[in-house]
Amino acid sequence: MFRKVLVANRGEIALRVIRGCREMGIKTVAVHSTADSDSLHVRFADEAVCIGGPTGAQSYLNIPAIISAAEITDAEAIHPGYGFLSENAHFAEVCESCKIAFIGPTAEAIRAMGDKIAAKRLMRKVGVPVIPGSEGPVADEKEAVKIARGIGYPVLIKAAAGGGGRGMRVAHTDVSLSGAFMTARAEAEAAFGNPEVYLEKYFGEPRHVEIQVMGDRHGNVVHLNERDCTIQRRHQKLIEEAPCPVLTPDVRRRMGESAVKVASAVRYSNAGTIEFLLDRDHKFYFMEMNTRLQVEHGVTEMALGLDLLKTQLRSAAGEKLSLPKGPLEFRGHCIECRINAEDPRNNFAPSPGRILALNLPGGPGIRVDTHIYGEYRVPQYYDSLLAKLMAHGKDRAEAIARMRRALEEFVIEGIKTNIGFQREVMDSDVFQKGVYSTRFLEHFRLSEV
Amino acid sequence: MEQENGSGGAQSGSGGAQGCSGMGGIDLKVLKRILKFMDESGLVELDVEAEGVKVRLRKAGAGVSPSVPVDAFPVQQVGAASTAPAASATAPAPVPVRSDIAVVKAPMVGTFYRSPAPTSPPFVNVGDIVKEGQTMCILEAMKLMNEIKAEKAGKVATILVENGQPVEFDQVLFELEPAGA
Repeated sequence: MFRKVLVANRGEIALRVIRGCREMGIKTVAVHSTADSDSLHVRFADEAVCIGGPTGAQSYLNIPAIISAAEITDAEAIHPGYGFLSENAHFAEVCESCKIAFIGPTAEAIRAMGDKIAAKRLMRKVGVPVIPGSEGPVADEKEAVKIARGIGYPVLIKAAAGGGGRGMRVAHTDVSLSGAFMTARAEAEAAFGNPEVYLEKYFGEPRHVEIQVMGDRHGNVVHLNERDCTIQRRHQKLIEEAPCPVLTPDVRRRMGESAVKVASAVRYSNAGTIEFLLDRDHKFYFMEMNTRLQVEHGVTEMALGLDLLKTQLRSAAGEKLSLPKGPLEFRGHCIECRINAEDPRNNFAPSPGRILALNLPGGPGIRVDTHIYGEYRVPQYYDSLLAKLMAHGKDRAEAIARMRRALEEFVIEGIKTNIGFQREVMDSDVFQKGVYSTRFLEHFRLSEV
Repeated sequence: MEQENGSGGAQSGSGGAQGCSGMGGIDLKVLKRILKFMDESGLVELDVEAEGVKVRLRKAGAGVSPSVPVDAFPVQQVGAASTAPAASATAPAPVPVRSDIAVVKAPMVGTFYRSPAPTSPPFVNVGDIVKEGQTMCILEAMKLMNEIKAEKAGKVATILVENGQPVEFDQVLFELEPAGA
């Protein structure tokens, strides 16, 4: 096992890594920007090295600075967290050439799944269902109509260079498709400098259901069931839960098998997540694979009684997976609400600043992963995630009841947060019934209070 | 019988002796002497056991801000963040007392070397006059030797790091005073 691990990240995930290492007697090195000198992960680590200025490029994305910090502290391994360099194949390669263990998959696996078009091709090869669509960019309206008739209406016209939900148009008929096609090309050119568009089958009310996988360096890969991440705002996850409230054991089993097929196809090791789209008939389609530990991994930890961080460390250190290979039974139900520094009443504008008063929720079944503390100044340079609030109960109803109670106890003063917004979602009939799609928040109105 | 008193011993005056009188087996005078001993010796925690009676005395953490749970994870060992002596790579940069002092800070993470090679003389010594753009030291990062140059002319007043010491971004390496000083 490693004696010293460097955490190449910040905020709550850096704390998560440090906590796992501490429990295993592993020394930790925190790296930080000048803006994060007072951050909790810096204080909790055994050693800390300032690696650069406040922006990501100067610090948490600065490969030479991070490698240098590992060298001067004699760190044997680097955990990249999520975001930043966690899915940067080049960084994984640099670690390898400097004889520093990268706590994650190989550079090849990262690369294979990073190329979205190549990944889809691989899915077709191994027999995992993908969202039906054009193989690549569509040349003209005639070809568009031909493809659309093949996959079935409605279809989604997507900008090849787009992302984050931008540059998409829906078409329901040949006529509307022909008209929308040229407009979409013009919009794509204007917004992204590239007019190329492609087609995908459009799902009106999909759910986002992802499967957690874990592999070791000996070729073993298992899946750890699902998480439902359907509640999103502008394609950013807000609420995650396990198990998925609408999944049957049969669909779960088939999704799990597909996920293992995907991971095995790239000889995947360490933690990863395969994201699927679930349509109303519970057919599932591969969307993409995230070759890192995810923000919402704690949901799986609470719902299955596992420690994914420690499993990552063991896998990276060359140990064989000791997870059971058969289907895993959920222990109760877990829900996570992401608490962000944003103002829901002002179009979710970011709200950095100093936290003047703080009360973290507690009591049975509550877990809070956070880096904030009283008097902490939330910097403006990074994402707005303040805390991950998880509630576990013997069933979904109890998890919701505990989450509602915990959200009431959660006090953050001095900055705006989405705590009140999350409470309203938890209180809503639709959420409690468990039947909704990724469009849930489009029609969600905050109360006037 | 076991008695525990964690409220800061000698720091809080009479607080240390509370709860002992009338409990039997503990002489208040002996306890006061133990507290005085703790204070004089600078001990933070002391367990005393004699004739079947155990006493544990622990000082409340001095200088810890109540809003940060630092005592949950005490930072220790050499090289730890901000509690180690100034020789460690992670010490906060000292603030120069004079307003005409210019500092040369590390623009990257690396290992500090005073000379171009182990057998060569140092680039600069205390008292040297340096020109703008003159090489002051080498920072080794990822097997590359980077020459760090003076941004302004001046006279080397202090060298704050030792040869071979790991340094972090923005760490102050040299203090320069005006050349005429």
